[in-house]
Amino acid sequence: MRKISILKLAIWLFMPALILLVRGSVLAAIEARPQEQLFYQGNLAYKESKYDLAIEDYEKLIRSGWENGNLYYNLGNSYFKKGELGKAVLNYGRAKQFIPDDSDLKSNYAYCLSLLNLDTQQKFGNKFSQIAERIFLTVTINQLTLLLSALYFLLLLGLTVMIWLPGSGRFTKPVILLLLAALICGAQALYGKITYSLKGGVVIVKEAQVKFEPLASATTYFNISEGSRVEVMEQNENWYKVKRFDGKFGWLNKESLELINQARDGSQHKAKLSPL
Amino acid sequence: MDKIINLKLRGISLVICLLLLPALCFAKEINFEATVDRNKVSLGSSLQLALAFQGTQDIPTPQLPALDGFQARYLGPSTMMSIVNGKVSASVTHIFTLLPTKIGKFNLGPFKFEHNADTYISNPVSVEVVEGQAQNAPQPNNSTEPETKNLSDRIFVTLEVKKTQAYLNEVIPLTIKLYVRQLGVRDIQYPELGREGFSFGSYDKPNQYTEVRNGLNFDVIEFKGSVAALRTGELKLGPAQIKCNLLVRKQGRQKSPFGSDSAFDMDVFDDFFARFETYPLDLKSPELNLNILPLPEENKPADFSGALGDFNLEVNAAPLEVKVGDPVTLKMTVSGQGNFSSVNVPKLQSEKGFKVYDAQIKQEGSQKRIEQIIMPMNADIRQVPEVSLSFFDVNSGQYKTITRGPFPITILRPEKEEEQRIVEARHTETTPAKEEKLGRDIIYIKENCGRLSRKGDYLYKQWVFLSFQVIALLLYLISVVVHRRKERLKTDIRYARSISAPGRARNGLRQAKIYLNQQNTQKFYDTIFSTLQEYLGNRFHLSSQGITTSVIDEYLNREAVPQEVLTKLRDIFRDCDMARYAAAQLNRQDMQAALKKLEEVIDYFQRKKNA
Repeated sequence: MRKISILKLAIWLFMPALILLVRGSVLAAIEARPQEQLFYQGNLAYKESKYDLAIEDYEKLIRSGWENGNLYYNLGNSYFKKGELGKAVLNYGRAKQFIPDDSDLKSNYAYCLSLLNLDTQQKFGNKFSQIAERIFLTVTINQLTLLLSALYFLLLLGLTVMIWLPGSGRFTKPVILLLLAALICGAQALYGKITYSLKGGVVIVKEAQVKFEPLASATTYFNISEGSRVEVMEQNENWYKVKRFDGKFGWLNKESLELINQARDGSQHKAKLSPL
Repeated sequence: MDKIINLKLRGISLVICLLLLPALCFAKEINFEATVDRNKVSLGSSLQLALAFQGTQDIPTPQLPALDGFQARYLGPSTMMSIVNGKVSASVTHIFTLLPTKIGKFNLGPFKFEHNADTYISNPVSVEVVEGQAQNAPQPNNSTEPETKNLSDRIFVTLEVKKTQAYLNEVIPLTIKLYVRQLGVRDIQYPELGREGFSFGSYDKPNQYTEVRNGLNFDVIEFKGSVAALRTGELKLGPAQIKCNLLVRKQGRQKSPFGSDSAFDMDVFDDFFARFETYPLDLKSPELNLNILPLPEENKPADFSGALGDFNLEVNAAPLEVKVGDPVTLKMTVSGQGNFSSVNVPKLQSEKGFKVYDAQIKQEGSQKRIEQIIMPMNADIRQVPEVSLSFFDVNSGQYKTITRGPFPITILRPEKEEEQRIVEARHTETTPAKEEKLGRDIIYIKENCGRLSRKGDYLYKQWVFLSFQVIALLLYLISVVVHRRKERLKTDIRYARSISAPGRARNGLRQAKIYLNQQNTQKFYDTIFSTLQEYLGNRFHLSSQGITTSVIDEYLNREAVPQEVLTKLRDIFRDCDMARYAAAQLNRQDMQAALKKLEEVIDYFQRKKNA
């Protein structure tokens, strides 16, 4: 019987998965081509200052199941021009998930927040997660996932080398420790990004009241202004339980808030609140 | 036994006696005796005075009274205890070094000492202090030098000032001299000067020379310095105090028993064996009375700022052709004698039209160099004004003023633009540039669509991507398992043999089948036999060569192998033995049966192992 080496086994196992992955991306790109028409229609409407029409086209494209950074950026601009700054902030926030390092986006987002008198430095989570997020601020979720995957592969490779070449521990151990540290830091950042993507929300009305109970008659705990970012902890039929950056939480009417990850097809179905 | 007890008792008695010894000593009469190591000593040498207390050791250091003609220094005690013919004696001797300070005959003592309400009085001792070497015959005095009778005639300090009457703040040079004659001195320290009411600079490097004083040759160390009085009236300067160590000759050995004619008393041996010891000396000069006068108020110049001495002033101004606002440097040098610390910057008679900066001052020996920058502020200036220095001349007792200048200067008119610039710089206030107000709005939309992706299509959600991670982990785990197996095969021989047993058995069976087909009976049974031996050896970690029927019976019975299998094994061994001696009796069916039995046996053991 012919022996199969671990290397050959690896190639046999990885190749189909790699092919599937590439095939999926290529097919998605081909499928998206006809949909791009809506984007350009929206741009045309925007240029003619028909912002409602532009918003309609962009959202139609989103409802059809496609998205990217430029699309959300343009949608944010359209809302800004229409005077709906909360929704502009919301869509700039969505765009940040795809093009976090885009200077135009940063500028518009900061300007929009400044008009709303909001602090751009509002941070959620503990110190470690804030530091981790700052390190990986300019990478998208997919880029960070790939990076972590590469670190993970390198870590396993390092461990394998350490097992098979016992004398290499002097060199591989520090590398493994570094990789492990980077992996933990990156994982924390990824968790933060995914949490923001799934649980993040933006207030879209001029001023909303956060109440102690999910009742219209309940006492108001604090007021929250348009464009403010919150983290949704749980929800029921008409209310979201939200947490502010300073840890204060209460209940906010669903009409006042839109989730970053919310389906924009008109029907506000339940947002998935678990990060993974 | 009795002897041992007696010995012990004697030992205890002896210890008690020894412990009681001090008590016995106290019980005796105490004698107090004063002795000197020699009765004749030269000036500049020392002798030892011993105050011995016989009969006790419990006497503290006695305080010596002031001895005329000697300085005393305590060296330390010396105790002694002796037992002669059962008689115990103890003593303590306190030893002092005496340094003669003048020549003559002196009686030391009797010394009186009180202790524990008892008074002890010693015998007197007489000592003669002579000039020169005491133990040698008097040397002919070839020189005309008069004799010195005191130590203070041989070593002393003087303090001299140039003048005993001076003005306030006037620098008064002083000289401190240490005179030494025919004595060894070392560790000389810089003089300390009693100078209340005076300010003092620092000493120059000391000079050393020989000086004849009162007809005697002295070695002199001279320290020069200066003081300045800080207040008026009669002030006392001094004493100047110098600390040093005097080297004193000390007799190093006992006098020779062969008398003075012995060769051992020769000078060369004396010099060779003589020892010196240091004796600290604290020498003080007499004080001086100084009369300090105040500065006269008469004719005091208006610009006088306290400079005292006799000075000269040189002034140089450069450049003398400048533009308005350009610097002109005045280099001033004050030289002469006097208190330079009292000399201030010479004054410009008028500062009008000039901007005057702070001067830079440098003191270099008996010169003071001053650089002052002045800046003409208008073009109408024709000269740098006079510079003057007023001081009090302590020699003549009068105020003097030295004036230098004026220095003609040419001020060039600046170009028109420059003039305007200067005027603007002086009179207009700078106004900050008006901040440009920039408009602000959002940046325009993206023209290009870019690559659209499925909503929520994240890598971390794709099973294909996740499978990569799982595969990588599996591969790692496989590599770990493989590595551990390899390691075990390397180190665990039993395991390695057990693992390799079925493979080797398969090869053996394959080979046996070939021989069966070839009808090669001998080789067939050899292969069957070796395969079975090897398999059982590997399987049970036994020596393959030593596997026989008896071994099988003994070992496999313990392993609870069924009788059926054991029978098959015995049959195979029996057939193999037969093949060696009567191969012709075995046919193909027998060979097939043996092969089958072997396969069944191996199969049984393999199944048993896996189970």
